[in-house]
Amino acid sequence: MVEALLFFAPASLIIIGALIVIFAKNPVHNAMGLVMTLVSLAIIYITLNATFVAMVQMLVYAGAVMTLFLFVIMMIGVDKKEQTTDSIKGQTFLVSGVFLILISLLAYVAISSDFKWDLWFPPVEFDAEGTPQLIAGALFTEWIFPFEIISLLLIVATAAAIALAYDTKKRNSNA
Amino acid sequence: MYQEVKLELIFLLPIFLPFLTAIFLFLNKKLFNELITNFFTLNSALLSFAIAAYSFISLALDKFKPVNVELFQWISNPDISIGFTLDGLSGIMLILVTGLSFVIQLFSTSYMEEDENHCNYFVYFNFFVFSMLLLVMSSNFLVMFFGWELVGLSSYLLISFWSKKPAAAKAGNKAFVINRVGDFGFLIGLMIILNTFNTFDFYKILQNTSGIAESTITAISLFLLLGAFGKSAQFPLFSWLPDAMEGPTPASALIHAATMVTAGVFMLVRISPLLQHSKIASLLIIIFGLITALLAAFSAINQFDIKKVLAYSTISQLGFMFIAIGAGAYVAAIFHLVTHAFFKALLFLGAGAVIHSMHHEQDIRKMGGLRKKMPITASMMGIGTLAISGIPPLAGFWSKDEILASVFVNGGIYYVFWALALGAAFLTAFYMGRHWLLIFEKDNGFEHSDVAEAPKAMTRPLLLLGIFSIFIGFINTPFFHGLEKVLHVTLENVEVTHLPKGITLVVLAVLSIGAGFSGLIIAFLLFGMELHKRIDLKKFKLESPINLVKNLSSNVLYLNKFGNFFFVSGMKNLSRKVAVVVDGMLIDGSVNFVSTAFNKSSKITSTTQTGLVRNYVVYFGLFLLLLIALFIATPLVQR
Amino acid sequence: MILRNEIVMLEVTTDWYLTLAAILFSIGFLGMMIRKNALIMFMCIELMLNAVNLTFISASKHFGQVDGQVFVFFVLVVAAAEVVVGLAIIVSIFRKQSSASVDVLNVSRG
Repeated sequence: MVEALLFFAPASLIIIGALIVIFAKNPVHNAMGLVMTLVSLAIIYITLNATFVAMVQMLVYAGAVMTLFLFVIMMIGVDKKEQTTDSIKGQTFLVSGVFLILISLLAYVAISSDFKWDLWFPPVEFDAEGTPQLIAGALFTEWIFPFEIISLLLIVATAAAIALAYDTKKRNSNA
Repeated sequence: MYQEVKLELIFLLPIFLPFLTAIFLFLNKKLFNELITNFFTLNSALLSFAIAAYSFISLALDKFKPVNVELFQWISNPDISIGFTLDGLSGIMLILVTGLSFVIQLFSTSYMEEDENHCNYFVYFNFFVFSMLLLVMSSNFLVMFFGWELVGLSSYLLISFWSKKPAAAKAGNKAFVINRVGDFGFLIGLMIILNTFNTFDFYKILQNTSGIAESTITAISLFLLLGAFGKSAQFPLFSWLPDAMEGPTPASALIHAATMVTAGVFMLVRISPLLQHSKIASLLIIIFGLITALLAAFSAINQFDIKKVLAYSTISQLGFMFIAIGAGAYVAAIFHLVTHAFFKALLFLGAGAVIHSMHHEQDIRKMGGLRKKMPITASMMGIGTLAISGIPPLAGFWSKDEILASVFVNGGIYYVFWALALGAAFLTAFYMGRHWLLIFEKDNGFEHSDVAEAPKAMTRPLLLLGIFSIFIGFINTPFFHGLEKVLHVTLENVEVTHLPKGITLVVLAVLSIGAGFSGLIIAFLLFGMELHKRIDLKKFKLESPINLVKNLSSNVLYLNKFGNFFFVSGMKNLSRKVAVVVDGMLIDGSVNFVSTAFNKSSKITSTTQTGLVRNYVVYFGLFLLLLIALFIATPLVQR
Repeated sequence: MILRNEIVMLEVTTDWYLTLAAILFSIGFLGMMIRKNALIMFMCIELMLNAVNLTFISASKHFGQVDGQVFVFFVLVVAAAEVVVGLAIIVSIFRKQSSASVDVLNVSRG
């Protein structure tokens, strides 16, 4: 029962947070909904024995990324209201169509599999606790090459962000 | 060994000397004035002639044993090489071309005086001489074909030399296009030769004729014949030659009278071992030669352009040479070629002198009575007229009589051919007599106060050629077969028709002299004494037939108009239709259809490319779902 | 029998996590389609990425292997990089047109 509670409580929070993200009008509310989703996800990760990933999720997503989001929201302002009517012709129709297909597809899959997911393999009894130790062992031996590449990607992204956000015009006019 | 090689190679010098001169003059044409140009070109021509004469004499001392020089082998199989040969035939042509080239260039220096493209003229002229020598000295068909095409090119350049005149430019094009028809035949003939003999070398081909089927030989001969017809202006490819008279007169004298147009005759004599195996080809040659001789002679009798008369007369004389070849009298053909070259060059240069003195007036109706003003030119052209009319002992008599006798000796249907050829000879005498009388004798009421004798640079070549026109006939008389000896080795395997013996020959000679004299006398009666004005034509009801003849003659039997209507306009209409239907509708249509189809379809598809990110997200989702649906529908997953 | 079934029902299997991930992904995708503020769209992208992360982690639990978690780590890093660049792009767009709406941007229209 505790297990079920530990799943359903964060799961419902996740979904509520996600719905806030897509439906709230104020960008700050959206961001807070996202925070809720991310934190709840971290709880789910802990129940799934992925403690290291949960911590990283908290630090990177709920901490750094969300702070960045909020910075940008503050920068571009929250007072501007978004238009409620869709300006793109046929977008509403297309969206509802796609969503209908999605729902029908899901329904078909659920009904045809008798509400049972078939994962081809049974779950293993052995529990791999995702401690930093274990992750580091895999990361710095087996995955060392992707790890190096990802560090490169981060440097490039940082440089790109600076280059993009740096306002050359204003700078020149000031000088 | 070294010595031998050197001697062999010396006859290559006259071939390449004009080429070097042409290049040298071309490169320096901005620097050289007329005097320097004349100096170089004349000295080069004289040197060529001297070496040619030396080569010919050394050949004669060697009893006309052919000298072959292979410069290099191009392809080993099939055997194609660049080589030259010096035998009796090419030796004669070598001397003829270099000699006449010198004389005519001497004339040209005066005729082309103060022309703005003076130097260019000599560049083209030298280039022509080079091409012609390439043609005649070649030891295989390939080099001959090079020369064949290059003489066409230089002929084109010289015909349209005064390219600012539209008529000259047009005439050049016409000559080029009509020659192309002939060259097409020549090229196909060469392909068949290469296919049959696997070589282009004359000696290898001509000595292996026995094993070849007669049909193949006939095909080769007929296609080569087409080439010869084009180059030598034979019926039906003759109409370019009268138009070619738009070029400078000395160039006409060398190219369109003495040398280039005889290339066809030369080539046919060269392949005579093939021709003698093909009765059809021989018969065709003589028939077309006769048609040409009669047609051109008939056309000449009512022409009023001083050069056009000579042009038609050239065509007619070339017809005589073809008759000789068709009758198997190859020696006679070459003999007539040589004599004709001299007296026709003389006539052309005379005409050039007259044109020069008349300030470029070419209509003979506006001349007349020029004999007193230009005595030397008049007498020299008189010699030329007598020579071409076949009056003994001038050059034309010996060669023409030999042709007529050779035709006669074949018997059978050839008696008819002989009679027709005799008729052509009569016409020749008539129109040449008319020509001379209209220019020099008849008083047309024009005052020629400013007309004077041509300068010495013109009269000297005339005198030289006049002397040759008198005496050149003696190289091959019935009493002295000089030319036959020269060509003996070349025509070793060929059965040459020989002259009849004894009384027959005398009778035939008398008849041909008679034809010549009667032609001249009638011309004198009509144009010298003006007989037709004294008798009442209406009494004999002759007026309309005479007018008809006059019309037909000046319009060349309406052949040009027919050709224009049938080939030029017909082809124009046809190609216009093809352009509209095939090109415009079929090809352009399909291409345009493809392009418009692409344009329209891409316009339709491009409406989906809104550039809006959210649309793309929708597409992305749509296809993602499609992919998932496909994945689910896969039997493997369904299980 | 019924009681035992109840107990089996309440046992949280991998299926549940995957369903949750699917729902999260769908919500994220729906948000991508209906919102025009570029910032919100980015948040939706984050939602979808997290849905994917959830699948990785649950699969990692299911198979008892740590590689899935390593991969989640990579996805996290890539997401961070993407957010950094993306927000920079949003800022420059905003500077240009003083609005974060993506509907005005159609320079790549066909």
